[in-house]
Amino acid sequence: MSPLSLRGHFSLVWRTVPILLLAICFLAAAPRGRPKVFIKKLKNNHYQLIVEHKPYIIKGVCYNPIPISQNYEYDWWSDPNKPWIVDGKLMKDMGINTIRLYQVDGDSDAVKRVIRDLYKNYGIRTILGSWLGFWEYPCPFYGDKKFQNKVKKEVLEMVSLYKDEPGVLMWVLGNENNYSCLGTVNPWSSDEIDKEPDPQKQKAMRAKIYYSFVNDLTREIHKIDSDHPVALGNGELVGLEFANKYARDVDLVACIIYRGKTFGNLFRSLKLTFDKPILVSEFGADCYDAYLKKEDQNMQAFFLESQWRQIYENLAGNKDGAGNCLGGTIFEWTDEWWKHDQSNPDSWSVHDTTSNWSNGSYYFDIKAEGNKNMNEEWFGIVALSQDLEQGINKRVPRKAYYVVREFWKKPILNNKRNKK
Amino acid sequence: MKKWLVVLLALSFSMPALGLAEDKPKEFMVYADKNARDNHFIPSGWMGDYGDIKINDQSSNNPHSGTNCIEFVYSAKKTQGKGWAGVYWQNPAQNWGSKKGGFDLTGMTKLTFWARGAKGGEVIQKLKVGGIGIDSKAVYPDSCDIEMGPIELTDTWKQYTVNLAGKDLSYVSGGFCWVTTADLNPEGFTFYLDDIKFEVDASLKPEGKKQESMPFYVYSDVRSSKNHFIPSGWMPDANTAKDIKYENANKEDPYLGDTCIKIAYNDVSGTRWAGIYWQNPANNWGNKDAGFDLSKTTSFTFWAKGAKGGERIEEFKVGGIMGEFSDSDSAVIGPVILNKEWTKYTIDLKGKDMSYVIGGFCWSTNVDNNPEGATFYLDELKYE
Repeated sequence: MSPLSLRGHFSLVWRTVPILLLAICFLAAAPRGRPKVFIKKLKNNHYQLIVEHKPYIIKGVCYNPIPISQNYEYDWWSDPNKPWIVDGKLMKDMGINTIRLYQVDGDSDAVKRVIRDLYKNYGIRTILGSWLGFWEYPCPFYGDKKFQNKVKKEVLEMVSLYKDEPGVLMWVLGNENNYSCLGTVNPWSSDEIDKEPDPQKQKAMRAKIYYSFVNDLTREIHKIDSDHPVALGNGELVGLEFANKYARDVDLVACIIYRGKTFGNLFRSLKLTFDKPILVSEFGADCYDAYLKKEDQNMQAFFLESQWRQIYENLAGNKDGAGNCLGGTIFEWTDEWWKHDQSNPDSWSVHDTTSNWSNGSYYFDIKAEGNKNMNEEWFGIVALSQDLEQGINKRVPRKAYYVVREFWKKPILNNKRNKK
Repeated sequence: MKKWLVVLLALSFSMPALGLAEDKPKEFMVYADKNARDNHFIPSGWMGDYGDIKINDQSSNNPHSGTNCIEFVYSAKKTQGKGWAGVYWQNPAQNWGSKKGGFDLTGMTKLTFWARGAKGGEVIQKLKVGGIGIDSKAVYPDSCDIEMGPIELTDTWKQYTVNLAGKDLSYVSGGFCWVTTADLNPEGFTFYLDDIKFEVDASLKPEGKKQESMPFYVYSDVRSSKNHFIPSGWMPDANTAKDIKYENANKEDPYLGDTCIKIAYNDVSGTRWAGIYWQNPANNWGNKDAGFDLSKTTSFTFWAKGAKGGERIEEFKVGGIMGEFSDSDSAVIGPVILNKEWTKYTIDLKGKDMSYVIGGFCWSTNVDNNPEGATFYLDELKYE
């Protein structure tokens, strides 16, 4: 090799090294290091969900496609007729980009197939949740380490099983388990709590135990999966002042809200209580007028459009809103005919019109007998027909389906805050 | 037809119309004097404890103008067991929305009336314009339902105004109404009304909700005109009346003033829980656009004690009524175990949006935590 060629060799090295260094630096700083799904805090303190480098508004539905004549025990994941294929197409046409599954049980291959089918065919992502043992008999002993460990094992198994599925969007821990801290639903206690005579302090003790447990779960999930946010499922904003102390590691809250046409001060109130982004993870309206005793699709569409308008008003970037909302998952995709009389199989084939509970926020039919105006079997934005099509109950979209679809295409917002 | 005849006929038709347009009335009388030709409504709608009311519609006792005024004597004897009474001026008489008799008062912007008490200090709980048939399935409901009050009368004539600017007055069959309660006037009272009329006042603007100044009372004392909410929302249903004994004017041991509230709860009906909402107006479960703007508040305070001590109240709450017109926020404390001595409780409202409050205060309890029932006292319920 001549001196000239050596010089050329060195010259090449000296020219290449900086480029390589730059490339290494660039790669280190490139989005490759970012989680696949994460929440970005903007300069104006608004929150934005980022999915694969792009802002993502969750336009979702709660999904539990139980056919007529079956109940919640039905393993729809393994249904050879694949109801999610028909549903996914309809969802995509409407503009839905996310489904929420409250909990996944059973054959993990079947679950993965559903997640993949929806994602690959329709671009629909899946939120996976866990009840955190809330419905276990006799009651969820969150103060008991054994119970905690059992739930933790189940949750971490779920995360390990599905975290690498490209269609997974996030995890939701619990649903409205916080009400058990008040003792109103599935009350639980411990020896230490029982010794405390002041019920307010008892409530605080339960809240500390429960939210600390959720925080612990969150940290464990973060260790094995940095690609998906972890949400704290919560009924309303009840108890979030305790979450602010004990569950600081959750990435967002996923709240169940049934406030009729308005979410009221929800978004601003959350900002003051527990400054985390929010997914309105369960909301909506039934479409049966319990007063006039007939289906009223207009009523359901009215409430849903109003609710989506408020969700959009509080997304990041809207200067008149709180900027902490990431979207919502409507309750629910299809009606569930088994709900009214769960223990009576004959009733699962009947679309019951008996109202189960009362909520004055849904005021059109509040004058129903006993003020019971909420019809649990009529929340679907898609009705089920007893006729079969492709082996499943024929899907009949309701007016809300079309109204929300049009709203998503062209969201028209109220620029002034509606306090009423 | 001759051309001049056509012109004459046209003129004869157009003249009255022009005259009407020019003479659009500036006022519309509800009551001027007994048998005045321009009285348009009749004080025929007696409500509540109607047996407690006597009327003299041609009292010559110092009328504000003309030769007479209306004298009402309210005995507060609760003859019909209601605890409240009132009178609607209707057209035609006894019309609760079943007959077509309303007037189109579009253009009027206020209702004024003159009032005085026999002694001074008499409290009228509310004055109303419209509101007939609003809550029922009336065939001819009024197009508006406007309230003001409470007002405390003086012993000399004073004019009061109800702002109607921006309201839909296209159909008004309930021209005027007053309502009061035995709690506010336990010994009854005599008062006088005169010159009740709708008027045009171009300077009046529609009333937005004004931010109320603090303190703002839910309950101060039974006779206080500062009480702004009515304990009308008995929960969960009609059976609650069996379970709760409610005294608005208990004098055993008030924390402050002459009276406090005494509540005795026993699960007689088997409903297992009960509670009371203080509402504005009465029975408003979010179906009426009403309430107060309490944006200036930072806390709600009240005093409470149990008859024995140890009574457990599940919730003390402010706001939280949800309906077509929902409270803008809510806040709650509880469960609370009451002491035998008066104790002050505070609901922190910092950061809350209290700009629209229909449900001023609420408590609820249940038989599970009070198997023997619970008797407790409340006083000085106020926003600060």
